[in-house]
This record gives sequence, C-alpha cells and structure tokens, in this order.
Amino acid sequence: MNATRLRPPRHQVDPRAVAWWTVQWLILMVPVAGAGVAAYWFLTERPGWLGAVVGVFAAGCLGLALVAPRASYRVERWEVTDEAVYIRKGWLTHTWQVAPMSRIQRVDTARGPVQRLFGLADVTVTTASSAGAIKIEALDHEVAAQLADRLTTLTQATRETPRERPLCLGRGTRPGKGGRP
Amino acid sequence: MPDAGNGGVATGGTTRWANGQPSAAGGPHGLASGPHGPNGGAHGAEGRVSGPEGGSLWRGGGGAWAVGDASRPGADAASSSPPQGTAARTGVSGPTEWRGLAARSLWASGVKSLAIVAGASAGLVRFLAGRDWPVGGVVAACAGAAVLIVAAVVAYDVLRLRATRWRLTPERLELRSGITVRQHRSIPRDRVRSVDLRADPVNRLFGLTVVKVGTGERAEDGAELALDPLSRHDAEALRRTLLHQGEEAEEGGGPLAELSWAWIRYAPLSVWTFTGAAVVLGTLYKALDSFGLKGFTTRLAVEGWAWLTARPLVTVPLVLAVNLLVGVVGAALLFAESWGRYRLEREPGRLRLRRGLLTSRSLTLEERRLRGVEIGEPLLLRLGGAARLRSIATGLGKRADDETEDVAALTPPMPRAVALRVATAITGAGLPALAAHPPAARRRRLVRALVTAALMMFVIVAVAALDRVGAGLGGWVWLVPVAVLAYGVWHAVAGAASLGHALTARHLVARKGAVVRRTVALDRRGIAGWTFTESYFQRRAGLLTVSATTAAGRGHYEVLDVGRGGGLDLAARAVPGLLEPFLTREKQ
Repeated sequence: MNATRLRPPRHQVDPRAVAWWTVQWLILMVPVAGAGVAAYWFLTERPGWLGAVVGVFAAGCLGLALVAPRASYRVERWEVTDEAVYIRKGWLTHTWQVAPMSRIQRVDTARGPVQRLFGLADVTVTTASSAGAIKIEALDHEVAAQLADRLTTLTQATRETPRERPLCLGRGTRPGKGGRP
Repeated sequence: MPDAGNGGVATGGTTRWANGQPSAAGGPHGLASGPHGPNGGAHGAEGRVSGPEGGSLWRGGGGAWAVGDASRPGADAASSSPPQGTAARTGVSGPTEWRGLAARSLWASGVKSLAIVAGASAGLVRFLAGRDWPVGGVVAACAGAAVLIVAAVVAYDVLRLRATRWRLTPERLELRSGITVRQHRSIPRDRVRSVDLRADPVNRLFGLTVVKVGTGERAEDGAELALDPLSRHDAEALRRTLLHQGEEAEEGGGPLAELSWAWIRYAPLSVWTFTGAAVVLGTLYKALDSFGLKGFTTRLAVEGWAWLTARPLVTVPLVLAVNLLVGVVGAALLFAESWGRYRLEREPGRLRLRRGLLTSRSLTLEERRLRGVEIGEPLLLRLGGAARLRSIATGLGKRADDETEDVAALTPPMPRAVALRVATAITGAGLPALAAHPPAARRRRLVRALVTAALMMFVIVAVAALDRVGAGLGGWVWLVPVAVLAYGVWHAVAGAASLGHALTARHLVARKGAVVRRTVALDRRGIAGWTFTESYFQRRAGLLTVSATTAAGRGHYEVLDVGRGGGLDLAARAVPGLLEPFLTREKQ
C-alpha cells in the first residue's frame, strides 16, 4: 500500500471568513426557506404532516447556512512558497490545486461588496490554462495585497520562458484604494 | 505598473503590431487604455485587447494614418503615406511594393453569386406564378434579377479588391483593407506561426486560394490576417517565404501519413450513419414547409404513414435499410470530400496537413505549439479496429468558431496500428504499456450501474403500486431496468478496462472512456499545474482524480480514478520538484 499523501497547506483563511460565508449562505437560504413556509401558509390547507415537512426543510436550509461555512473554514487552506501556489478546498469533494510560480500569468485581487464589510479579499492566480485559475478566498485584505505583491515579484523572478507567453501582472484593485468604511 | 503596461502591449503587439518598439507602440496603447493603466494588471489585460485595436483601426481620417504609421517601425514616408481615402493604387512603389489580390476573384464571385440567383429565382417563380404571370414574364423577371444580383456582387468585389492592398517587407506582412471602414493590419514576420491555405471548388476552378496568416497566439479576434484570394502560385510562394526559408530542406522519409482509400470503410462507423438520413429528411421537410408547400408535405406525410402502417413487417425494415444506405453513402461522400488527397508531412519545425477533394485545405502546425496528441476511439470505430488522431496544441481553440471542422484533427479514421505509428512519429515516443487502475475503480463503476438500475426499479414499482388499476403500465416497462442494468454493467466494465496511465521520458499518458475512448499523450513540459479531486465516494475507495492543467487543447487532461498514493507519485514524477514539498510519505 502506497501511503503518499498531500499534506494540508500551511495557512488557514481569515477567521472572519466564517461570518462572511454565513452571511452569503443566509442571503441565499433565507428566501428559500421563507418561500417554502409562505407557500405552505398561503397556498395549502395547512395539513399537519406537510407542516412538519416544511418545518424540517426550513430548519435544514438555515442549519446548512450555519454549518457549511464552518465546515468550509476547516477545509480551506492555502500556501505560497517560492516555487508554487498550493491550496485545498471543498467540503464533500476535496480539491487540491498546485500551480508552479513559473507558469503564473496573472495575479488579481478582488473584493465583493459584502466581503468589503468584513475587510476580506480574494486573490486569484491565473496560468495559461483555461482550467488553471486558483482562487485563494477570504484573506484579510491587507494580507491579500501583500500576497499579491509578493506573487508579482516571485513570478517575475521565476519566469521561465519570457518569450512564449508574455506576462501580465498586477492587481485588480489597488491595495490602498477602496479601503474600509 | 509600467511593467504591466508594457506586457500588455507586447501581447497585443503579437496580433498586429511589433513589440520590438515598446516606446512607439506605447503611444496608441496609452491612448486607448489610459483609464486602465493605473489600475493594474487585471484591467491591463483587457486593455491589451482594446489598446492595439484602437491604434490599428483607422477610420478614414488622415490623423489615424499617422498613428498607424508612427507605430510601425521602418515605415518610410514615401511608401506608407499614400493619398488618404483611396487605397494605395498599384503604382505606389517602395522598398517592397503594395500588391493587390488576384483579379480573377471577380469571376469566382460572379459564379458564386449564381447560388443567390438560384434562390431568388425560385422565390420569384413561386410568387409570380401565384399571380398568374405569363411564363415569358416570369423568365424575364428572373433574368433581370439574375443580372442585378450578379452585377451587385461583382461590383462589391471590385470595390473590395480595389480597397485591399498587401505587401511583404523584410520585417512584416501588411494588409490594408476595408471599403468604408479602413483597416491597416500588420504582422511581424518573425511572429508568423501558421499559413493556412483554403480553396473551395469555385476558387480552385479559377486557380485561387485564400491565405490565412496566423501568429499562433490564442486566436483572439483579428489575430489572423486573411488574403482572400491570391492566385494559387502566389499563395504557395507566400507560404514558403513566410514559413521561411526551408525550401523542403529535409525531404527525408516522405510524409507521416497519406490517404489510403481503403480507410473509407471506416467512414460509416459513426452515429451519423444511422441518424443522418433521418436528419436530412427532416430538414428537407422543414424546408419544403417554409417554402409554403405545407399542403403538399402534409399529404405526403399522411400517405407515407398510411403506407408504412399498412404492412409494417415489410415497410419498416425497408425504410430502415434505405436510411442506412443513405447514411453510408453520405458518410462515404463526406469522408471523400474532407479527407481526399490527405497528406500529413513534417517540415522543419512544423507539421503540414493537406486535405480535401473539392475544397482543398492546407494547415500548418508549429511543433513548438504542440503539447501532445490524443488518440480517439469512439465505440464504432473501436469495434472496426480504427482510431483517429488529434493534436493537443496551444492557440487552436478559438479558431473553431468560424469553421465547422475540427481544426485539431490530424488524421481521418485509420487503422489503429497506423494511427499509433503516426502518433509515435509525431511525439517521438511510442505508446508504452499502460498501468491499470485499482480494482476499486471498477467496483465503483459497477456500484453506480447497480444503483441506477435499482433506483429505476424502485420508481417503476412505486408507480405500479400507486396505480391501483394496474392497466397503465404494460409488461414491457419491466424490461427498462433490465436494459439499464445491462448497459450500465457494460459501461462500467468497459470504462474500467479503458482506465490506464503511464509516464514516459517526455509524456504523461492517460486513457479513459467507455463509449469514446481517448488516449492522451501530454508533453510533461506542457503541464502548468495540477488539480487533485477526491469526491466522498472516491475517498472511501482510496481513489483520486489527477488533472494536469495545460495551456493547450482542452485545458486539462485527467487521470481518472487512480489509486491515491499512485496518482500523487505519478504527478510528482511527471513534473519533478513541483509537488514534492507538499507530499508526505509514510513507510508502511
């Protein structure tokens, strides 16, 4: 039995991610659960057994919204060495992604409106492959800016074949801009 | 940030402008993408598309000429500032003179316009006949329409030809075109990666060929420059000059593959053979309908149905046989058209593919862009012992947009052994014996088949139980889960048998697929990262899917359901050094 395994990447995402993800899940799930309850209340003759089903459904939706972010938080990890970017994600389906520094073509940071409230940012690293984008989610926005800077420097240093694919680096959002409320 | 800006220009420059002169090219780029500039790379990447376009598209204005010429290195005033508004006429001379397209194109367009004439005439005849016009009047109207249409098309082509000028300087290939919106495009010669020739039957009749010159970058809009058309001789000469130099430098060994007409026997081994005739019939029926012959088609359909149901034992097999016959003939004709005169050759540093009985095509693929090959064996071909080969190359993807054909196809369906030989010749390494995947992979597929069939059974039982009368379901429904189970088990076994992988000195080889079996040999140097996925059930079975991401072909190629440790070791060995820091190895 071959026991080679992938070790978890070094860093965990920012703890504020849990709150952010919870808000996102709730934005999605509250209307779903609400619609179920409303449909039961207004559109049916409110039989008891259906009430139980709807109740379980609504509770499940809200429960999922509370549990899933915590599960994700435990799973999502990232690491950037001088040679590669390495992340782990996925709760039911585990996914690990590795991209060598020499193949990275673009580094973007992005901050959504809700994310901004929590002071978080995503860093996305793109290679020449259409399937190779790696997204490090929910970092503290200053950590993200520093990371993007570091990645930019590293990729320029390790660029393997400068001619083949011109490099295009930078960040979607400038670190100082936008900022906290 | 200026770095990112220049990077953007460089990329854009490959499509039209030199990047050898960042300072000059920076001008139009700066203008076009100024707002993006300070924002950085993400937007700079968009700017790289819009930037050069803004610089190189000029819309009739004199100032725009100046922009275009200023950013062109080596542009000398004498040759590059012809009178504005009118294209440079033939008289303009410079270091290398501007040349027009082949004038014979007018004849070709005249002939092609006859197709429009035919359509318009058919419409006219129906319309006028409905209004009780005399035959002479109808003929006269059709003739008038024909003259008008041909004249209009030819006149347009005259304008187009007069507006289009191209030249080949020692540094670049330039094209000025456009009747209303003038365009000036240029490709540095050292960036030319492909010169594709294509001649449809009419063009061939007049000895013409359409030339497309590509830079091999991801074919964004406008990365290609088309000369439509040149004379066949000029086209060949241009191709030789652009792809330089290599006057058939090494004629050693002959072509990699050449058509053998015996391969036409594989042509009908496709699903289209069985469905194609029906599809054609349906299209025809629709077409007649839209021509207003609804009454006719309806009567035809009713009578046909009556005939079919009168003696089904005779007629149904007859219809099926005719369908098959039409399908086989159609497939054979299609094969002959697309693969007639097929020839795959190796030229220094590139592959050249020529094919087409009526429409002749000549495609070039730089070996530097080649990241491997894919051997495809759809079920029917596999049963017939055949396979076909596709290239895995960078920058081929988008080109498929305007062409219905598979641009990556390297060979027609051919005997498997021949396909393997060609693959070996192209990749420079034979196909090794593949390592099988763990039995768990097969178990997983079987379980999936059983569960699907069981679910189906459950649904049918539930429906039967709820259906108190029991009359709603015929006895035949019980065959459905049986058929599903049989197919599922076959699919599972065939899929598991297909799984395999190997690592050679240069390639990562992976095979998968039950219905369409694909063997991919991916150049290890082309691997730009890894993705490992492990679903809940895979985790329990100790399996893993290893996906190599690459800039070429489909973007990622998978080694499906490989054992966890084995898969990780495979990836670690395929690209040494990349994965090692992230692995833990426990001795057991």
